[in-house]
Amino acid sequence: MLDKNAIGRSSPPTLNEVEKGSIRRFAEAIGDYNPIYYDEEYARASGFPTIVAPPTFPASFHSAADLRELLGVGIKSLLHAEQAFDYERPIFAGDRIMVSTKVADILEKPGPAGKMDVAVIEDEGRDEEGNLVFRARRTLVVRTSKELT
Amino acid sequence: MPARKLYFESIRVGDELPALAKAPVDRVQLARYAGASGDFNPVHVDETYARSVGMPSVYAPGMLVMGFLGQLLSDWGRGAQLRRYTVKFVKIVWPQDTVVCKGRVTDRFGENGRYFVEVELWAENQRGELVIKGQAQVQLFFSLEDENRQRSGQAPLVVQVQRESLYQAPPTPAAAPEPPKAPEKPVASSGAKKAPARKSAKEAIVKKAQPRRAPKKAKRR
Repeated sequence: MLDKNAIGRSSPPTLNEVEKGSIRRFAEAIGDYNPIYYDEEYARASGFPTIVAPPTFPASFHSAADLRELLGVGIKSLLHAEQAFDYERPIFAGDRIMVSTKVADILEKPGPAGKMDVAVIEDEGRDEEGNLVFRARRTLVVRTSKELT
Repeated sequence: MPARKLYFESIRVGDELPALAKAPVDRVQLARYAGASGDFNPVHVDETYARSVGMPSVYAPGMLVMGFLGQLLSDWGRGAQLRRYTVKFVKIVWPQDTVVCKGRVTDRFGENGRYFVEVELWAENQRGELVIKGQAQVQLFFSLEDENRQRSGQAPLVVQVQRESLYQAPPTPAAAPEPPKAPEKPVASSGAKKAPARKSAKEAIVKKAQPRRAPKKAKRR
């Protein structure tokens, strides 16, 4: 169902400014009250230059990618199966990160209800000098109605 | 005052991370996470919509549950730098579910003054069902001495460390296909599975008299 030609489609880099308030709200939503996400002094005493972002914070980054445009299928029809992050360094408050997204792969996998269409989406974050900050890899399965529980 | 840091020298393969019991997931949390992450997929926040697509109710986005496991990881690995973190979402987490996060050190290795530990992570719901599983690799200072050296601009402490692994083969990279095999009852850590915590002679020399694996309190905030 998914179009193999989508492989390689990408979105141009989009600037994401990492704000302290966004980090705090993200950590609060998880229910994670580690002071390194809230308290500048504590973060410094812990060896960081400033407030740090939680490991999954890149999930909040925007990119210019519209999945419907990239894949021909909207987010509502996709099920998140796997997620991977590779970090070059921690993400800090004040960082300005350019995030771009591309379709890394489209494949078919055997599923509980026959073959499943799978898309692998890669996000890449770089600082303004072009240094890699993180890579994220999302594996999405096209929802076929009732293979969920 | 920051909590004490975790150093490579005090970690052993087979060590268990202090379990993290999360408060029950509720719809307010789902709304907050939607706002904080910018993911407004209605299956997570709009009850009417969720039912219209055949779900019994709204449910937690996988990334929220990955965030829970991330909390377990960073609570444990204070002072460590996260290098890689991968998960597979196994079962949906619903409102009122209570998730307990667990983890265990599976690998320990070092080279050229850089020290790494691999951890397997997983979480269960109140019915004991696996909801997510994953792996992480963290980089740590060998010891306080190593940290002090590096922070003052000196070369890292180089200690020859033999790779120790809980399993036969070191974990494969995240991309590699892997059968969905859950750590069945990992909590009942049978002594048989635990690799003996061996140290190379060199490492033993460098190590100073140090308390064995200082027990960490689960929470202290």
